[in-house]
Amino acid sequence: MAIELKISEVKMSAEQSGKWGMVIDQDICTGCQACVAACAMENNISFVGEVDSGYGRSMHWIRIERFWEGEYPEVKMTANQPMLCQQCGHATCEPVCPAFATVHSQAEQLNLQVYNRCVGTRYCANNCPYQVRAFNWRDYKRPEPLSNQLNPDVTVRRVGVMEKCTFCIQRIHKAQDVAKSEGREVVDGEFTTACAQACPANAITFGRVDDPESLVSQLMKQSHGVKHLEELGTLPNVTYFKGG
Amino acid sequence: MSNKFSRRDFLKLAGVGAATTAILTGCGPASRFVKREPYMQMPEYTYNGLSTYYATTCRECAAGCGLVVRTSQGRALKVEGNANNPLNLGKTCARGQATLQGLYNPNRVRGPIKHTRGERLYTADANPFQDEFADATPNMDWDAATQAVADALKNHKPEEIAFLMGMAPDHLFDLVTDLAAATGINAPVRFGALSMFESRATLSQAAENLFGHGGLPLFDVGGAEVVFSFGANFLETWLSPVSYTRGFAGLREAKTKQRGTFIQFESRMSSTAGKADEWMPIRPGTEAMVALAIGKLVSDARGITVPHAFSDVDPVVVASRSGIALATLQHLAGIFANSTAALAIPGGAALGQSNGLAVAEAVLALNALAENFGRHGGVFFSALAPNQTEYQRPASAREMQEFAQKMADGKFKVLFVHGVNPVFELPASLDFKNALKGVEQVISFATFPDETAFESDYVFPDHHSLESWGYQRVVTGPAQSVLSGAQPVVSPFYDTRATADVLIAAAQLAGGEFATALPFTDEVEFLRSKIAPLMEEKQSFFSAPDLNTFTAYFQQYGGWWKTSDGRRVPNTSNALGREMSPAEAKFAGEGEFFFVPFVSPTMAEAGANKPWLQELPDPTTTVMWNTWVEINPVTAEELGLLDDDIVKITSEAGVLEVPVYRYPAIRPDTIAIPFGQGHTAYSRYAEGRGKNPADLLGQHFNEAGDLAFAGMKVKIEKTGKQQPLSRLESIMGVYGVGLGEEK
Repeated sequence: MAIELKISEVKMSAEQSGKWGMVIDQDICTGCQACVAACAMENNISFVGEVDSGYGRSMHWIRIERFWEGEYPEVKMTANQPMLCQQCGHATCEPVCPAFATVHSQAEQLNLQVYNRCVGTRYCANNCPYQVRAFNWRDYKRPEPLSNQLNPDVTVRRVGVMEKCTFCIQRIHKAQDVAKSEGREVVDGEFTTACAQACPANAITFGRVDDPESLVSQLMKQSHGVKHLEELGTLPNVTYFKGG
Repeated sequence: MSNKFSRRDFLKLAGVGAATTAILTGCGPASRFVKREPYMQMPEYTYNGLSTYYATTCRECAAGCGLVVRTSQGRALKVEGNANNPLNLGKTCARGQATLQGLYNPNRVRGPIKHTRGERLYTADANPFQDEFADATPNMDWDAATQAVADALKNHKPEEIAFLMGMAPDHLFDLVTDLAAATGINAPVRFGALSMFESRATLSQAAENLFGHGGLPLFDVGGAEVVFSFGANFLETWLSPVSYTRGFAGLREAKTKQRGTFIQFESRMSSTAGKADEWMPIRPGTEAMVALAIGKLVSDARGITVPHAFSDVDPVVVASRSGIALATLQHLAGIFANSTAALAIPGGAALGQSNGLAVAEAVLALNALAENFGRHGGVFFSALAPNQTEYQRPASAREMQEFAQKMADGKFKVLFVHGVNPVFELPASLDFKNALKGVEQVISFATFPDETAFESDYVFPDHHSLESWGYQRVVTGPAQSVLSGAQPVVSPFYDTRATADVLIAAAQLAGGEFATALPFTDEVEFLRSKIAPLMEEKQSFFSAPDLNTFTAYFQQYGGWWKTSDGRRVPNTSNALGREMSPAEAKFAGEGEFFFVPFVSPTMAEAGANKPWLQELPDPTTTVMWNTWVEINPVTAEELGLLDDDIVKITSEAGVLEVPVYRYPAIRPDTIAIPFGQGHTAYSRYAEGRGKNPADLLGQHFNEAGDLAFAGMKVKIEKTGKQQPLSRLESIMGVYGVGLGEEK
C-alpha cells in the first residue's frame, strides 16, 4: 500500500514537469527499419560488424521488437514495437551512475548521457528495464571517406563510453536557438526527431507534452495509449498505441 | 485520390516540412544550373556552421522519391524526404536514409579504368574497419575514355551496339533512347532484380488482357476498407514502398471510417503479412484457384449470378488443395462481400510462378467484382509521368534471356552497362557472365566495383546519384503526374564523370548521325531541352516566365508535378466475362520443399555495400550481416536441424549452403531465402557475405515472360557444419548466447 502511494506521488510531479514526449502507433508501424537507419545517420552511431553484433554489441539507439504468439498455423507476429530510451521522469539508470554521467536535465526534462564523464561501469545499462543503452566495446573505425558523413552537431563517442537515444537533443537546441533569436517559443511541428521525420507510416509523433495543444499531447490523451513498465514507477515519456 | 487528398490536406502535410521548404527556396542563384564550383571556393550562399539544403531524387530503388539533403561545407550530412514531392511527402525508407553510405563508400571506382576482365578492382579485405585499402588506380584520362566510347560507337554497325540500363526511367534512358532512335542502334533495355521479383511484366500483361490496354495498376490501399493481398509485399520493396506504406497507415488509422481489415495470402509470412489481421498460409501454386473461389463465394453471398470468370471453380476442391478450410474461405468471402470498399492486390511470389498471369488476372477480377475501378480505395492505372505517352515496363526475365543469348551468339559487339549489375542480379542459370564472353567490348559505367564491372573491358564510373544531375519519371504511387528532379548535392568526390556527358561528348567525336542525334554541349543542356516543354503545361505545381527561372524552380522544389489527379480508370466491361483457369502452378525440380526467394526488405538488390544497411536487423528474423534459410520449426525438428546449422539446398539449377533460421511463420513444406547478399564483388561490405538464392533458380517463365522464381522445388540435406547468425533478438532480455560462444 505504501509503495503504491509513492508511485502516485511521483506521477503527479511528472505531469507537472514533463517537457518532450513521443507517441508511437504500433498499429501502423510496419517494422521497416527506416527509423533505425535515420537515427544511425543523424547521431553518428557506429556500425560494429557481424561478429560484435552477434555478441549483442550493436549500437542501435532504437530497435524494432517483434515477438511471436502461438504456433503454426495459428502463429501471429505481435505488433512491431519500436523501443528506444523512454526518457523516464524517474529513471532507474540515473541513481546507479557513480560518475554522474547519466543525469536528469532540469531544463529539458530528459535523461542526459555526459560522454566525457562516463567511465564505463555499465551499471546504467544493467539497471535499465528497457535495455536501450549501447556500450562502445571498441573504437569502431569508419574507414575513409565514411567519416565525411559525421554530423557536426553530435559528439563522436569512443571506446568505454555508454550511449543512448537523446530525443535528438541537437535538433531541440537548434530549434530553441532559432525560436529565441526570433523572440518566440518553439512551435509544435517546427522540428522533429530523425526517427519521426523518416517514418513512412507516420507512426512516430514527437513534440511538447507541456503544451496541451500540441499534437503529441492530444494523442497522449487517447484512451488506448500505454506506457511500458509503468508499474516500475519510471514515468516514461513515450506512449505506445498497441496494435490490432 | 482527388477526393482523398484535397489541396488543403496537401498543404497541411507539406507544412510539417515548412522549415525545410523555406530553406529550399533559398537555394542560391539560378546560375547554379550550369556552373559547378568546387567547394574549395565557397559560393556566397554557404556560411560556415550553417547548413545548406538541396532537393534531389533518391536512386536507391526505382520508385523515385524526393529527397532533401542537408549539406555543410561541401559535405552531405543527412538525407531527409522532400515534403513537397507528392510521392513520398517528406518520408524515406531505410535504404534512402543510407544513401550517404554509398556516396562515402570506401571502395568506389575512382576514375576511368582500362581493365582486364576478371581482375579485381579493389583489394579483398574481410575487415570492414580497415582503413588501408588499395583500389584499382585509374589508368586513363577522360579524353581517352571519351575517345574509347566514340570508337565503340563509330566502328561498329548500329545493330551491334547494345545498352543495358537500370530499372529507373530516367534522363539517361531518354538520352540513349533518343540516340538509338536517330542512329539505329538497339533501343536501351532496362532491367533490375526488383522488377524480376515484382513480376512487373505479369502485372501489366494481366491488366492488358482484362482491360484492353496495358499499364501499371495503382492500388489505393489508403482509401480501402478491406485489402486482400496475394503475395504483394507492398510494405517492403514492392513498386513504391514509401507511398504504399502511407496508404497502409491510411487503411489503419482511418478517421472517417472503421479501422481497415488487411488479409495476406502467402506461404511464408513476410513482414507485410506480419501486419495483416489474418495471414493465410496457402499452399504455393493455389493462389489463382483461391482468388477464383473467393470470387464465387462472394457472388453467392451477395446473391448475384456467378460471373463467367468464377464459374469453373469448385470451392470444396480449392479448400482441400490450398489448405484453407471451406469455412475460412466463406468467412473471407463474407468480409469481402460485405465491404463497400474492398481491394485485391496481386504481387510478389504469387505471380512468379508458372501460372503467374492467371493469378494476376484472377485477383484483378476480384476487383471487378468489388466494382472498385476508378473509385476511392480501388484500382487505377498509375498516372503517366510527364513526357510519357505510355507505360514503359522494364525487361522481363525472358527478354533478358534473349538478350543474353544474343550476347553469347556474338550479335552484340559492344555492350554498355549502366545502373544495373546483371551478373549478380540475374539467376546464375542464365549465365550472364559467360554470355559476356561473346561480346567484344564491354563498357561499364558503374559507380561501385560490382560483379559486372569486374567482367568489363572498361570502367568509366558515373557520379554517385548525390553528385548527379538528372530527372526520373515516377512510374507509380502518387495521384499526380510527377517528374522527380535531381541535382548535385556535393561536388564529385572522385574523378568520375556523368555518363550523359560522356555519351554526348563521344557522340560529337564520333560525328555523323551520332553528333546530330545529341547536339548538346553537356548533360545540363540536354536536361533543359527535356524540361522546357513542361513550361507550357496546365495545372503545374509552379510556373515561371522563362526557362532559366523554371529550371531553377525545378531544382529547388526537386522536380515538377501537376496539381490534378492524373490516374486513369481502366475499362472493365469485359473483365468478368473472361474464362479463367483455376489450374495449379507447375513446379520444377525434384525436392520435397517449395522454394520461396524474397527480396530482403532492408537491403533489396543493391544495398549490400552500405554497412548500416547490413547492420539493420531483418524485420521478421532480426538477422544482420548474413543470409539464412527459413524453415518451419516442426520440419527442422524432423530433419534434426537447429538454428545456425548449415544445410545444403539442391535445386535443378544449383546448390547452396546456408545456415538455418527456425521461422515459426512458414509452411512446413516451404523454405525461404532472402535475396540481396552473396556478392563476389561490390565493395568490402558486400563481398563474401551470405549467399545468393538466385543461384538456385532455373530458367522457367510464366506466360508473361517473368521468371517463375517461386516455382521451384528443392531438397535439403544436413551438412553437420554450423555458422552462427548475428541476430538482434538474442539480446532482447538479458545478454544471451552470442556469436562464436560455446553452446
